[in-house]
Amino acid sequence: MAENKDILVIGGGISGLTTAIEAAEAGYNATIVERNPYLGGRVAQLFKYFPKLCPPYCGLEINFKRIKTNPRITFYTGAEVENIGGNEGDFTASVKVNARKVNEKCTACNACVEACPVERPNDFNFGMDTTKAIYLPHDLAFPMRYVIDSSVCKGSECNKCKEACKYDAIDLDMQDKAVEINVGSIVTATGWNPYDATKMDNLGFGKIKDVVTNMMMERLSAPNGPTKGAIKRPSDGKDVQSIAFVQCAGSRDENHLPYCSAICCMASLKQATYIREKNPESDVYIFYIDLRAPGKYEDFLNKIDADEKVKLIKGKVAKIEQDGDGVVVTAEDVIGGGKINQKVDMVVLAAGMESALKGSNLLSTIKTEESDFAVSEGQTEGIYAAGVASRPNDVTTSVQGATGAALKGIQSLVRRSE
Amino acid sequence: MAEETIITPDLNFVRSLKGAGAETLKKCYQCATCSVVCPISPDDKPFPRKEMVMAQWGMKQELAADPDVWLCHNCNDCSKYCPRGARPGDVLSVMRQKAIEENAVPGFMGKIVRNPFLALLIPIILFLAVLGSTGHLKAPGEGAIEYSNFMPVTYIEIIFMSAVGLAGITYLVSLMKFWKTMGSNGAATSKGFVPSLIATLVELISHKRFAKCEANGDRRIGHLLVLYAFIGLAITTIWITYYYYVPHIETHIPLSDPMKWLGNGSAAALIIGSLILVANRMKDKGIDTISSSFDWTFLIMIVLLAISGIATEAVRLAGIKSIAYPVYFVHLVFVFYTIVYFPYSKLAHMGYRALAITYAKMADRDVQL
Amino acid sequence: MSESKLGLYICTDCGIGDSLNVEDLQNAGKAKGAAVIKTNPFLCSQEGVQVIKDDINNEGVNKIVIAACSQRVNTDAFEFDPLKYVVERVNLREHVVWCQPPNTDETQAMGEDYIRLGVVRAMKSECPVPKITDINRDILVVGGGVTGLTAALEAAKAGSKVILTEKQAELGGWARKMHKVTPTKPPFTELEKPVIGNKIDEVNANDNIKVYTGTTIKSIAGEPGMYKATLDVNGSEETVEMGAVILATGWQPYDAAKLDNYGYGKIKNVITNVEMEELAAKGKLVRPSDGKDAKSVVFIQCAGQRDDKHVPYCSSVCCNVSLKQAMYVRESNPDAGAYIIYKDMRTPGLYENFYKAAQDDEGIFLAKGEFLGVEEAGDGSVLVEVDNQLLGKKVKIQADIVVLATGMVTSLMPEGFDVNNLTPEYVGNIVRKETQDGVIEEIEAVPTTLNLAYRQGPEMPHLNYGFPDSHFICFPYETRRTGIYAAGAVRHPMDSVQSAADAAGAALKAIQCLELTAQGKAVHPRSGDQTFPEFRLESCTQCRRCTVECPFGVLDEDEKGTPKEHPYRCRRCGTCMGACPQRIINFKNYSIDMISSMMKSVEIDDESEEPFIIGLICENDAYPALDMAGQNRIQYSPNFRFITLRCLGGTNLVWVADALSKGVDGILLIGCKYGDDYQCHFVKGSQMANERLGKVQETLDRLMLESDRIQQVQLGINEWDKLPEILNEFSDELKDLGPNPYKGF
Repeated sequence: MAENKDILVIGGGISGLTTAIEAAEAGYNATIVERNPYLGGRVAQLFKYFPKLCPPYCGLEINFKRIKTNPRITFYTGAEVENIGGNEGDFTASVKVNARKVNEKCTACNACVEACPVERPNDFNFGMDTTKAIYLPHDLAFPMRYVIDSSVCKGSECNKCKEACKYDAIDLDMQDKAVEINVGSIVTATGWNPYDATKMDNLGFGKIKDVVTNMMMERLSAPNGPTKGAIKRPSDGKDVQSIAFVQCAGSRDENHLPYCSAICCMASLKQATYIREKNPESDVYIFYIDLRAPGKYEDFLNKIDADEKVKLIKGKVAKIEQDGDGVVVTAEDVIGGGKINQKVDMVVLAAGMESALKGSNLLSTIKTEESDFAVSEGQTEGIYAAGVASRPNDVTTSVQGATGAALKGIQSLVRRSE
Repeated sequence: MAEETIITPDLNFVRSLKGAGAETLKKCYQCATCSVVCPISPDDKPFPRKEMVMAQWGMKQELAADPDVWLCHNCNDCSKYCPRGARPGDVLSVMRQKAIEENAVPGFMGKIVRNPFLALLIPIILFLAVLGSTGHLKAPGEGAIEYSNFMPVTYIEIIFMSAVGLAGITYLVSLMKFWKTMGSNGAATSKGFVPSLIATLVELISHKRFAKCEANGDRRIGHLLVLYAFIGLAITTIWITYYYYVPHIETHIPLSDPMKWLGNGSAAALIIGSLILVANRMKDKGIDTISSSFDWTFLIMIVLLAISGIATEAVRLAGIKSIAYPVYFVHLVFVFYTIVYFPYSKLAHMGYRALAITYAKMADRDVQL
Repeated sequence: MSESKLGLYICTDCGIGDSLNVEDLQNAGKAKGAAVIKTNPFLCSQEGVQVIKDDINNEGVNKIVIAACSQRVNTDAFEFDPLKYVVERVNLREHVVWCQPPNTDETQAMGEDYIRLGVVRAMKSECPVPKITDINRDILVVGGGVTGLTAALEAAKAGSKVILTEKQAELGGWARKMHKVTPTKPPFTELEKPVIGNKIDEVNANDNIKVYTGTTIKSIAGEPGMYKATLDVNGSEETVEMGAVILATGWQPYDAAKLDNYGYGKIKNVITNVEMEELAAKGKLVRPSDGKDAKSVVFIQCAGQRDDKHVPYCSSVCCNVSLKQAMYVRESNPDAGAYIIYKDMRTPGLYENFYKAAQDDEGIFLAKGEFLGVEEAGDGSVLVEVDNQLLGKKVKIQADIVVLATGMVTSLMPEGFDVNNLTPEYVGNIVRKETQDGVIEEIEAVPTTLNLAYRQGPEMPHLNYGFPDSHFICFPYETRRTGIYAAGAVRHPMDSVQSAADAAGAALKAIQCLELTAQGKAVHPRSGDQTFPEFRLESCTQCRRCTVECPFGVLDEDEKGTPKEHPYRCRRCGTCMGACPQRIINFKNYSIDMISSMMKSVEIDDESEEPFIIGLICENDAYPALDMAGQNRIQYSPNFRFITLRCLGGTNLVWVADALSKGVDGILLIGCKYGDDYQCHFVKGSQMANERLGKVQETLDRLMLESDRIQQVQLGINEWDKLPEILNEFSDELKDLGPNPYKGF
């Protein structure tokens, strides 16, 4: 029997990209199926990485270049795996490719955007600004091709984008497509979603405008974010001069996410540098339970701690209230011995990571533990997990795991051909 | 500085807390959410976060002397928001029980209370002995129901006066012990005792503190009714004694008498209030709280006390002679129980809490109500 | 290669045709030697590409210059066999018409210059000739602990042959000494029995793995695909050959004797966490001093870690280890108490469940606190004084055993060295050497493990604290020795679960390196590149700059100092090319002459009051940043002509002279951040460029030419918003300086 020698990678974030590219460069074919209309996943939304404070675009650029020059990698964007059948060596994945309504003739010239009359909340920026119904997801979008949001596009009765496009790149009648992919092994790298911060009724998110999540903070700081990188408060656009970071906003909490999301301490320390650099007079308060800066990340913690304007306070913020034009966060300073009611311009909730497998139809094939992170022991043969699909992790650990997952995927193929 | 505490593992204390209903206490990881969400925790050294670590580390003495366990009104907002399911509200409730036990004088009384059957057996035997020795074991046969024929007023006076006296003294000693340890460990005080105590009593009359509870706010009415009922019943008792000795008004006093209004009203308040508290404990508050057997025992005793009291009166008015005296007997047992065990039971919290609030006011670490 | 014939294809859409005079663009290309010139309104369409294909087939065009959009887009449309055709992309869209006003003289001049630069670049470029030889695909795994065993097994399962060496007489490393292990699988609450034994058996049973115990490495020489190692196998020498190496020698505990006030070595009942494992493995926990039952055990976290004076970093695993060992205490005696005094409880991710499980034990007492001191109590117990920050007071805990949770140090650390005080890059001693130029200080590296026969040093360069870690978040396996991959606790403090995952990753990288090497291709970050630096050694002056500066230690030296190539170690960044004052190092499609010729090809208006500036930009970051500036229609000075380099490390100073003599007013280098948090994916490229620039600026000062004419800026890929400021300011500065005095000569 002819065994399939390809690897399916579900998810085109940093982990999925890594698995696919590393496997391809080792001589195996890999197919990526990505839900977003672009590759890159969560890291594309980050302004900088900790602890180096380098831009994620840099590594994505290299990875995209590796994809461009490697014929062994194919990918589908705007696509979802709906069902997986078969066994190691011969899996069949049914993939639904959503109609992008923009074809490969698109040159990314932007004429369509100028013509489009419809605006939509920009999900890339967590709704803090808008794009047109036809849009480029972000500056380093790969593939560099526009996409139409069918849920708001008025279709052929409007037709303005189609008329503006010289290249016949817009197909408003494009239909979703079903694709069957035959592979020998599967790596799930579905990553994570930010935990819904409105679920924490004592932290004010969704009610108080100047309470944002850590992912929103990334967008507020990024040059291609809603404020072009100026950290201003959402309510009135004032420069943020004082900011409180609320650690474990949902994580380590049985009412929300029972586990630790592993990255939020480092992320908030990192975000402290954003505001300290952009608004040099600003005061930063980080409220934590345990500062988790494992390994050599300790150096980064020390660097931030050395900044007199950054105060690290042991004690979880459990109350956030609007107070005039500011927001008051309340915590017990466990070491100092009293409650702190700190008024700040803006509050960042270090909201945790939730496995993107949660609620996914992949759960019928991929075995997970109680919080929907994929297990390794007892997993279906030929199926592996990489990155945050397997457990909450930072980028470098995810990439490390994704590289190993590529090898696991290859081993399946080698095993079946023996 | 005082000699440093030397810590050795005291698993027994941890176990006893867990056994008394604080099974969750080890789950706490000291995030201090509880101290923040607590509506009545002060800004200065708030509770219950530090009480939780004291309990985890088995620090019995420190807990017995800690005023803050008494400032807690068991709203359970903390338990609702606790990210670990450690239920600080319930743990503190157990700590109060332990503190009563720890401060109790004499110590063995605290232990007796923990066994409700033994505790009830004592007055039963006592009353049977009194009745037996005076030849009243058989219910009076002739005439209308007259409880003083069954148990002469003098005996009642002697037994209950001495019970009140004994309970009062031991309670006072216990409270003084508590006050002293609290003072030696606690914060510096800046306000005087008397004004603070007055402020405390004024506050207790309105139960303002309860009004701040969010997760468990509707307890206020029940608790207030019970408090007023006890005050009402105390006044009634004094009043009836006054009637007896001064204008020599013998029973039965007509229902139209204001004393009767107060007494029956208080009894009704006691029943309604305690039933509210029972219902409150039983209803699903969306938080997983538990009530210790210590709490339940006394709540049930109070309900029984009120019911037996009303029944005593009702049975007499209805003229159901066959059960009148046994009902009265039961009532007397509950009254005795309530009075004698007062310093060692849940009810003792009145004094401890009043003192703790007073102390908090003196130390200027009270919350704005 | 046959006669070259260059075709220039100009796309006129996406605004190009509206902004530029296309005829003049064509003329500019023609003047530089384009044999075939065509324009197309939609060059990336099938029809457009077909035009080029037809010319290849019918006209014999073999050098294709596509003047259209960025080289980063439409890569599949414009893909031609790189071994047959030279393809050069001229970015008229993002770098010209999208960032300049339409139809001005300046914009037109810019467009024409870019055509010239592109055509000259293609003219000077040749197709690479890949180096393909038979290579050895075996993998040497150094270290037989959990990481090494896993790496060996994982590689073998993927079909590789593995040589596994272990210094000790038995396989298993630290894992073999563990009484129990922290949970490795959901629900992450239970201690597990060590499975290292199974792993050892599996390795021993695998025919593809050859195990050498009692073995150290005397030397490793060669390059990927052709390494030769001399082993010391229990005293006798043996030689093995392999293609790649996985370094998995793990960790060593920090020496607790260096912790002065913890009582270790003075008080018998104060032990380390490693010793606690041994104690627990023996059965019931008893006091080391007198064998009495241990009823109270205190664990001091961060005993040395997170402390500048000892181990400045966190060892990642100690919190979990102490929680585990606290469970030992509880299992040994149900009435015993275990106290853990921590700074921060670090049980990240799903390990939180383990923390919870340990917490729930009635006999485990946890508190954030500071260790203050220990003293012996008369009865053999120890009083540990701690500031219990949760209780807000100092307490003394009476303990039968005090366990110091000491940290991990990389196994590469030579004896007698302190992690917090190491020489940069190579761990060693600073020695003073007499040379012709006077006394210089040099690091004499101390070999410990691999004993590499590399000119730059015997071990992997360390990043900090002795860890040969990758500095790249996105690329955790990018060490500076191609074909040698570090995995496990040798490179970063990690637990056995993470080490095993790391081992799999390193195994893949080793296999992948060999796969690419076999095809004559580069590994990351220029993966797939088939070019190689070529050395005209007859003109070499043995200055050693290339051998010193190569970030990857590619070049060794013979006795005289002539570079000895090891092409498969090469990552193709061109740093050697930039370093060479003799201009003898070049690639087929990337050379000193190429860039010089490009610089000479531009047309400078001697009469203009505006400065004429050459920008040398790195292709991975500055180039895309300029693209994204274009995408956002950000406008900036038209006075720049950007020339793309693989890395700024390739900047050769001869270009400065060429440009200045041509009449260029200034040169701006735009590259990655350097320094501690360097972003250069060739590690030192932008830094080397900066150092060279320092030298040339001295020369300029001597020539009475303002050194400010040549500057370097650091730019991240996402900092395109800063470009107008950077470019306009530099331009204004040059304008203030006035024209290059050599202009017009």
